[in-house]
Amino acid sequence: MTQTGINGAPTKSPPKLPTWLGLLLADKFATAAVIFLSLVVVAALIGPALLDGVASKVAFRGRNLAPFQLDHGWLMILGSDSLGRPIFARIIVAAQNTMMIAAFTVVAASCIGAALGLVAGYSRKFLSDAILRLADVIMSFPSLLLAVIVLYMLEPAVTNLVIVLAITRIPVYLRTTRAEVLEIRERMFVQAAKVMGASSWRIAFVHILPMVLPTLLTIATLDFAFVMLAESSLSFLGIGIQPPEVTWGLMVAQGRPYMNQAWWLSFWPGLFIVLTAMSLNLVSNWLRIVLDPTQRWRLEKRRETNHG
Amino acid sequence: MGRFVLKRSLFSLVSLFGLLVLVFFLSRLTGDPAALYLPVDAPQSVRDAFREARGLNEPLLSQFGDYLVNLAQFDFGDSLRRQRPAFDVVMEAFPWTLGLAGLTMALVLSGAVVLGALAAIKVGGVFDRISSVISLAAASAPDFWLALMAIFIFAVGLGWVPTSGTGTPWHWILPVAVLFVRPFGLVLQVVRSSMITALSSAYVKTARAKGVKQRAITFVHALRNAMLPVITVAGDQAAGLLNGAVVVESVFGFPGVGKLMIDSILQRDFTVVLAAIMVTSLAIFTMNLLIDLAYALLDPRIRY
Amino acid sequence: MKLSNLAWAMMVSAAIVVPAAAQDNQSVNVVLTEVLDVIEPCMAARSDVGRVVLQNINETLTEYAPAESALKPRLATEWSQIDEDTWEFKLREGVKFHDGSTLDPADITFSIARNKNAALGCETGGKYFGGMEFTTEAIDDTTIQITSDPASPILPLLLSVMPIQPESDPADTFTTNPIGTGPYKLVSWDVGQSLVVERNPDYWGEQPVVTGATYVFRTDAAVAAAMVQAGEADIAPNIAVQDATNPDTDFSYPNSEMSALRIDSMLPPFNDRRVREALNLAIDRDAMIGTIFAAGVQKATQQVPPSTIGFNHDLQPWPYDPDRARELLAEAKADGVPVDAEVEMIGRINIYPNATEVMEGIQSMLLDVGFNATLQMYDVGEWNRYFVKPFPEPRTPNLVQVQHDNAKGDPVFTAFVKHHTDGSHSAMSVPEVDDLITRATAASGDERKALWEEMFAKVNDEYIADVPLFYMVGFSRVGPRLDFTPTIATNSELQLAQIGFK
Repeated sequence: MTQTGINGAPTKSPPKLPTWLGLLLADKFATAAVIFLSLVVVAALIGPALLDGVASKVAFRGRNLAPFQLDHGWLMILGSDSLGRPIFARIIVAAQNTMMIAAFTVVAASCIGAALGLVAGYSRKFLSDAILRLADVIMSFPSLLLAVIVLYMLEPAVTNLVIVLAITRIPVYLRTTRAEVLEIRERMFVQAAKVMGASSWRIAFVHILPMVLPTLLTIATLDFAFVMLAESSLSFLGIGIQPPEVTWGLMVAQGRPYMNQAWWLSFWPGLFIVLTAMSLNLVSNWLRIVLDPTQRWRLEKRRETNHG
Repeated sequence: MGRFVLKRSLFSLVSLFGLLVLVFFLSRLTGDPAALYLPVDAPQSVRDAFREARGLNEPLLSQFGDYLVNLAQFDFGDSLRRQRPAFDVVMEAFPWTLGLAGLTMALVLSGAVVLGALAAIKVGGVFDRISSVISLAAASAPDFWLALMAIFIFAVGLGWVPTSGTGTPWHWILPVAVLFVRPFGLVLQVVRSSMITALSSAYVKTARAKGVKQRAITFVHALRNAMLPVITVAGDQAAGLLNGAVVVESVFGFPGVGKLMIDSILQRDFTVVLAAIMVTSLAIFTMNLLIDLAYALLDPRIRY
Repeated sequence: MKLSNLAWAMMVSAAIVVPAAAQDNQSVNVVLTEVLDVIEPCMAARSDVGRVVLQNINETLTEYAPAESALKPRLATEWSQIDEDTWEFKLREGVKFHDGSTLDPADITFSIARNKNAALGCETGGKYFGGMEFTTEAIDDTTIQITSDPASPILPLLLSVMPIQPESDPADTFTTNPIGTGPYKLVSWDVGQSLVVERNPDYWGEQPVVTGATYVFRTDAAVAAAMVQAGEADIAPNIAVQDATNPDTDFSYPNSEMSALRIDSMLPPFNDRRVREALNLAIDRDAMIGTIFAAGVQKATQQVPPSTIGFNHDLQPWPYDPDRARELLAEAKADGVPVDAEVEMIGRINIYPNATEVMEGIQSMLLDVGFNATLQMYDVGEWNRYFVKPFPEPRTPNLVQVQHDNAKGDPVFTAFVKHHTDGSHSAMSVPEVDDLITRATAASGDERKALWEEMFAKVNDEYIADVPLFYMVGFSRVGPRLDFTPTIATNSELQLAQIGFK
């Protein structure tokens, strides 16, 4: 089995590329997840250019067509929406806006949150208190009010939506990072590094951050789904994505009045949100096992049994 | 400990005041309440008279001064729209929200901790996979979808529970069940993730080497250590619920603070917005204080 | 924490359940889709308040019956015009408020003053009495003269919207315990949850069949419909078109609303009549009926519904002619009109069911004939800025999604605000139209009718001030045990006395 350093600090270098692929194939769930995410990325990149005209073509007579019928063309395989537009084409076109908003929001919120959390957890002074009370204030500030204020002070734009969503998601990363830091900084290897004269910054980023990362990634992958849904709940204010532009969250929201008659309107985009969040989570779990020498044997063992 | 709580409370008072100032001035940048409150056909003279009567024409700073003087006497002012004391309006709604949030989080924590810990024992095992898929789907499903489906299936179709409303303990089943889903999925994943780290750490290995039983290792040694991020994330979710579960409240007709806050923001009923934020933020600040105290309880090495 | 909360909730529950359980089966449960936050009678012009209060708890002097286009006596038995600006009303004798006091002219005077009180900001006063001053004089215990400035030839009609309140109501705050003369009196109001009324044994008129009612609030119309289906409620007066799926229980009724797009006709390219005509020709109204609009809607020609006095029956709905629209745009372009300029469509979320889809559909039709149309959907707060003057600067050519309700039978509640240069929603300025509005407002009888007809021809045919869409319908779900058919009035009131049992 692999060798373990003091308290799980990694001692073996990460695996090389062919090994990566092998390790990925060893985990069927992760493989499926990577394939699905690649398809979403491809759709986000070329979807709008390819299908924009088809996806926004209104046909009143062909509204709410049921899914799984091929007589209206393969784009109608998932049915049509309340304006007769093909849902499948719209999901592909919407991938770009959806991914952009969710990715920017989650990355911004988690980076800022984690950085502030590290500082708050590591310094014992006034600064720590100030950061945490700021988090309290953000947690108590209703995101809708923030959105209305931003809307009145700035022009309606997608970036403003990202700002609003990112600000409201910061506290959870901040507080989680800080909670982990409080515990980890008391551990032996951190104390050891301190004795050996490592700087506070070095300890925070080199020794502590890697230990906090798995929990942050777990939250971030699920936040992806949350942000995709929350985004649509603000678009009614006129902030963010506006029709005929579309996101998965907006599609889900627009299907709401039809839940009783045409379940597919909000079901399919909802399913894509769930699948995306699930895939990200599976990949981050797999990545974590690969990067953690104390866990990697699980995959290596499975690979051997698969080949043997 | 006592000193910590005192210092912390003082700090919290300062941030509460900061929040008050922030909300008071920023919310007034969002437009004229008279335009939304009065009928759209109302002539300008009626609008002016209305603003005059409500002191909305005063300079903002003097409005704020008046507000503080009244607040010192525990008077949050009257709701513009309802013409009743804003604090009464909020306190009618808040207990419902507190009830929903408390009941939901109690169930979430007990369920997620047990299942998450079990999933972490055998990473990649059947139980881990199934619980992961279910919890991830749960955590990312739209809440209105769950709520309406629950009503159509369990209330209209099967007739087991009432569709909506308040009245009996039966009325709480669907709203709590719908609210339960997302925090449960998220907390379960965090328990699992944090337990994996804890189970592979040195002291668990030491305990195992000493011959401590697996169940004791999981549920006593590792879990205690894994709880820090768990209660933090649970706290974040609880804060979300305290700020109001808007969708669940409006679908099930629960007169909670979330719906009240949204309506008041959209109607620019500033006094109610302020009173509601003060009440919920007090609850959130208190909860965060309790969470910080819990850190020290769970891990004696953490001191304040 | 968990247990004490549950116990607390059950205690509250007990308080609500008791009146409901005590009801016999002659009492009805009504589920409303707006949470009632005030029950002040002077707010009854707001439909959510009106449905509960109007003619159930508080009554009016006169009552307008839209089905017959007639004004009927209610608390006033007769009225007559004394001179140009004064009317005399004879009050019904022996009418008592729920608190036992007798209706007299002082209550009328009090109610008028209350509706005009700026500090209260009453919906009824703001909507119908803006710019008017009233003086009253009690002639005897049951006779009152009301003088208005400016003179109003339709004062009795105006008073059909004003609920009469007793002098004992608080003068400067909203009442939370409305006292009226109506066939029902308030039992309890549990804010945000329910409101209970019971039959008034001392009512001056015939005793109604329904003995009482419990109102509950569900903002989700699908849930309201589900409650009637599950037998938890008897009537959901306002459900969405897509939830009205059961022909046995679901009724559609004309709701006196008219939907349109308002054209900002002051700015290029919309200041050219050909461009405004092209807008109207570009829209396929027939394709929208029965798809994103309900099957029962009628194509609209002007801002008021056909039951209105002075409605111009000669006006025809615009046909769908995209080729002609393109031609008109080409002609205008040749004359230097900037038809390629960006025109902004300003929509309001949920102004009526499917509001966003309607705007998306219209946008695609406008793009199709060559307009450079963009769409922005707003919540009411932001939308209001574009809808009501002063319009936000810099002004850009826009089309605003609007809906207007005039169930009162006279265009006076519509014409000034929508079409006069100084009207607060008007984005047009035509001196002849202004003149016609002023003259029609002061006229009466056949002259009034003719002037209104002329005005609508000017506005909608000659000038083309807006893009009329439809006269709308609403949907109610009525439980199987009730004998009740919703009418055009159901949009603003729900008279329990008109409900029977099968």
